[in-house]
Amino acid sequence: MDFRFTPEEEAFRKEVREFLDKELPKDWPGTDPDMYHEDAFDEFHELSMTMQRKLAAKGWLGLTWPKKYGGHEQPLWKQIILEEEITYRGAPGLDPYQFVGGMGDLLLDFGTEAQRQKYLPMMVRGEIKGATGMSEPNAGSDLANIQLKAELQGDYFILNGQKTWQSAAHRADLAPVYVRTDPNLAKHRGISIILVEYKKTPGITMRQLEMMSGLKAFNEVFYDNVKVPKENLLGEINGGWKIVMAALSHERSYGVMLLINIRRDIDLLIQYCKETKDVDGVPLSKNKLIRNRLADVVIQQEVARNVGFKLNHLALTGGNVVSTANAVKILGGVTTQRVAQVGMQIMGMYGQLGPVGGNWRQTDPVKDKWTRLGGRMKHLYLSTVCNTIAAGTTEVARNAAAGALGLPREPKPAPKK
Amino acid sequence: MDLALSEEQEMLWKSARDFLASKVPKTLVRQMEEDEKGYVPELWKEMADLGWIGLPFPELYGGGGFKFLDLVILLEEMGRACLPGPFLSTVVLGGMPVAEFGTEEQKKAILPKLCKGELIMTMALTEPSAKYEAKAVQVEAKAEGDHYIINGTKLFVNDANVADKMIVVARTAKKQHPEEGITLFLVDRKAPGVKIHLLKTIAGDKQCEVTFEKVKVAKADILGKVDHGWDIVKKVMEWAALAKSAEMQGGAQQVLEMTIQYGKDRVQFDRPIGSFQIIQHYMADMSIDVDSARVSLHKAAWMVSEGIPCRKEIAVIKGWLSEAYRRVTAQSHQIHGAIGFTKDHDLELYFRRAKAAELYFGDADFHREIVAQELGM
Amino acid sequence: MDFRYTAEEEAFRKEVKDFLDKELPPGFLGIDPGPEEESRPEIFDIAVKMWRKFGEKNWIGITWPKEVGGQGGTIWKEMILLQELAYRGSPGMDLAIAQAELITHFGTEEQKKRFVVPITKGEVKWAIGMSEPNAGTDTFAIQLKAVEEADGFVLNGQKIWTSGGHNAKWAMTYCRTDANKYMISVFIVDLKSPGITMRRIEQATGIPAFCEVFFDNVKVPKENLLGKKNGGAEILLFAFGAERTYGLFTIYNAKRYLEQLVQYAKEAKDADGVPVAKNPIARSRLAQLAIDIEVGMNMGHELNWMATKGMPTVKPSAQIKVHGGNLCQRLGNVGQQVLGLYGPLEEDSKWVKLGGRIRHTYISALSFTLAGGTTETSKNHIAGRFGLGLPKQH
Repeated sequence: MDFRFTPEEEAFRKEVREFLDKELPKDWPGTDPDMYHEDAFDEFHELSMTMQRKLAAKGWLGLTWPKKYGGHEQPLWKQIILEEEITYRGAPGLDPYQFVGGMGDLLLDFGTEAQRQKYLPMMVRGEIKGATGMSEPNAGSDLANIQLKAELQGDYFILNGQKTWQSAAHRADLAPVYVRTDPNLAKHRGISIILVEYKKTPGITMRQLEMMSGLKAFNEVFYDNVKVPKENLLGEINGGWKIVMAALSHERSYGVMLLINIRRDIDLLIQYCKETKDVDGVPLSKNKLIRNRLADVVIQQEVARNVGFKLNHLALTGGNVVSTANAVKILGGVTTQRVAQVGMQIMGMYGQLGPVGGNWRQTDPVKDKWTRLGGRMKHLYLSTVCNTIAAGTTEVARNAAAGALGLPREPKPAPKK
Repeated sequence: MDLALSEEQEMLWKSARDFLASKVPKTLVRQMEEDEKGYVPELWKEMADLGWIGLPFPELYGGGGFKFLDLVILLEEMGRACLPGPFLSTVVLGGMPVAEFGTEEQKKAILPKLCKGELIMTMALTEPSAKYEAKAVQVEAKAEGDHYIINGTKLFVNDANVADKMIVVARTAKKQHPEEGITLFLVDRKAPGVKIHLLKTIAGDKQCEVTFEKVKVAKADILGKVDHGWDIVKKVMEWAALAKSAEMQGGAQQVLEMTIQYGKDRVQFDRPIGSFQIIQHYMADMSIDVDSARVSLHKAAWMVSEGIPCRKEIAVIKGWLSEAYRRVTAQSHQIHGAIGFTKDHDLELYFRRAKAAELYFGDADFHREIVAQELGM
Repeated sequence: MDFRYTAEEEAFRKEVKDFLDKELPPGFLGIDPGPEEESRPEIFDIAVKMWRKFGEKNWIGITWPKEVGGQGGTIWKEMILLQELAYRGSPGMDLAIAQAELITHFGTEEQKKRFVVPITKGEVKWAIGMSEPNAGTDTFAIQLKAVEEADGFVLNGQKIWTSGGHNAKWAMTYCRTDANKYMISVFIVDLKSPGITMRRIEQATGIPAFCEVFFDNVKVPKENLLGKKNGGAEILLFAFGAERTYGLFTIYNAKRYLEQLVQYAKEAKDADGVPVAKNPIARSRLAQLAIDIEVGMNMGHELNWMATKGMPTVKPSAQIKVHGGNLCQRLGNVGQQVLGLYGPLEEDSKWVKLGGRIRHTYISALSFTLAGGTTETSKNHIAGRFGLGLPKQH
């Protein structure tokens, strides 16, 4: 056992940090480890595209992918380090929908040669943006309940229906869309995955939805007789559920990313407490209650982060990640919410102030005169609500974790007569 | 022991619920978050005509002569409806201290207009140190002849942007004990030297920075006794914490009802999600938070109405609800999933208001400290 | 609305307090509600004495009809008595009380005379024969068989978790009289009957308060069947529905502990010479407990008031049980934190503080979310048709 990183790993980590120091704007406050900020603000999106191209130039996109598709065939630990450093800095550019348990992996596991040849190189070059078309109004936790229809007519699938809660959809070039290709089969047996090129395909309209954090980062996506070439079918027709399971199990990263990212906020709070004085003139960091709560939250984050290291280890050694991935997902959501709550308690009345998205770069010196930490805590408080919901609710994760422990499934109710 | 509402109280409750349900749709609530004033003057007038603004004030001054418990019943419904506007500020932060501690002239000059809906008020207490303690009062009021001159900055002042008159809590003397040497002044918003800057807050409520630059206030506009203003502030803080608790209770109750309905309506895995045991247990927990709060709220309100000292009971309910309301809204979000996370849904209105209410006139830590004192610790 | 008690009620409360001051040993630190601690010999003696004295004061069955030995008094009076007993942690109030209520409701006149009257005199102790190894939360899974014969019933099988079984004369025993799961019958069993053997089980607290009770061809006369044969389900549901007191007891119990802790915190000093009560973290935690307790007591007032008005009480009883159980566990935790290294000391250890009560309650509170119906069952009741009206689980 050794919790240290090798000199090689440390060297790569240093390289990534220096890259980020050089390429990120000087006062970069950091974005959240999902697409919400990029979705909502054009400025962030533009920076993201710039960073994406720069990452491509460094050979850091598709790090582990086969060279024949433009990848770099680098070891998995490098990809992990890249993800960690980028997440901690809150640097945009490493599109999770393509590079972090996203489309790239799906194409490699299930795509045809033609699909891989077509899409992977442009992904590696950093030319496109991704999204994923999963949830629908009646298919949230019950993903198998999707109803967006795809009928094969000649050389095309015709798509009709809608998706919802899609982040980054209005920015995306390409997305795997989960469709129902056979309504007569059992729910999860009639599902297929079709690759849709959003910007190039007529019949697709989108409506942006505003999150409770104020970010317009969700989309409803409507498909009205949308024609997609049949070559864009990923895997087998009606064999989509297998891919869903694979996609979800690739989802090792979301919880870990939350835990890495939130450390930045904890560090921010600690600094704030050291610098800010109470009405007595005593730094907040000397207030026993605040100390106790901050320490508590640090303990939680560090313990959870260690589980994240364990998860990486399992991934690197080909171990079974299901149980640990679920644990990390739950811990990530719960820990970030706890940090937000403690952060708000520490900020007191000031926690109420701040621009939408806690976007420091939009701080107006007059309007935001009294805002502290760029309104980061207020944003965190509102945005972390979804961390136990998005990408699979905590309840679903607990069910999966219980299953991994070998517990029997909850019985289904008797069918209604 | 009798825990029933009187017939009159039942009527007040029902009529308030109906009125607010029809007059305060959530679209209006959202509009007012962005609106500069934060309230609708026509609606304000209607509430005055219903006797709501004058509810707790003596009939002699145009009020309804009702008790604090009746006001609490009304406030519960206002919390349920997320009623925007300066009701709490005007009635509890402004009118009640005047009614309780004002001179006859002051009461005559202020209360009748206030009850008619023609005078909006608030109290300017907290400063950039953002604490509800006497030692945090640093804004100075210096005696000069037959006037006082006020200088300094107040922060997080509710509804100062629309208040016609503010009760400004200022330091007139530096004594050994910080609670001594504080005086309350009735100041017009439009007085020369008063500058208001509206803050943008998580709940879209109107909290303001108020700067005082050589603001002249006549001695006749002192509320209560010179250097002994903190006694009044302590009382107002109790009333305000309790009044806000009532709003919180109403909001929490609405959130619980919304969540139960969602549990019945939302179908996934071929069954309403409210039939899953874990969801049922979440809601059972929420109901304990909500139902326990209601009776504790009424107890404190009843004690105020009966003139029974209840510093501890008020700290208990505000301390309890500061965490319970947040728990209830957070749990409801978890049950609602993604749909509760959008601005299209009402739930997030309550989540944000729960946070603002938590901070209002003392968070849980603040009230726990009061309870600790009441325990003799 | 009025949160006050009447002058008469306050006078009664004073009477109870004075009685307890006089009858309990000086400096008595109090026990947790329930028969568990009676398995400690010194407590057993006090319990037997107090139970008899309650009988002499006519305080057993205050709300029961005079014909069975009760007072025909108000629920408020009964609640004041029980609250004061729980608050003082007085031994004596026996499980017999709840059983007498069942007999009063379902029994024959002869049974009321035979069983309830002695209960009101505080002369006899009871146990409850309900749980079995395979029937905990799933009460109807009981298997103790009762077979009808010419002159009575013959019982075979066993019970477990029978608190105070070894001290009791009678046990209200739930038996299977039909293959249909919900067809059970309830018998009043003389625990001294031939064929009954018991094994004591030590609880996590260190007190052997539980019994396993084995029935080997135990004969029970027909006169001891409560209600109808196979009519036990109704009795069981009545017993659960009438259970208003468990949560309340835990909350008044907690109030006593908190006061002891606060007193301790005022006197004990930190390494700095500063009283523990001035430590912001200890203050905050103790204050939060005080808030939880106060809120719980208010819930209790409301529950009792609803009972006096004949309003349905299943949901608030369940709510207060959940709240009380959770709060007592938190109290055990906070108590341990405040006592620090002294927390785990046993009551007979040198250096022990507060008579070792914090160690005791830290463990015993584990059972408050289990006994008398688990928290999960309570939450199901709150959520279901007696409460929030959520759809059935299955």
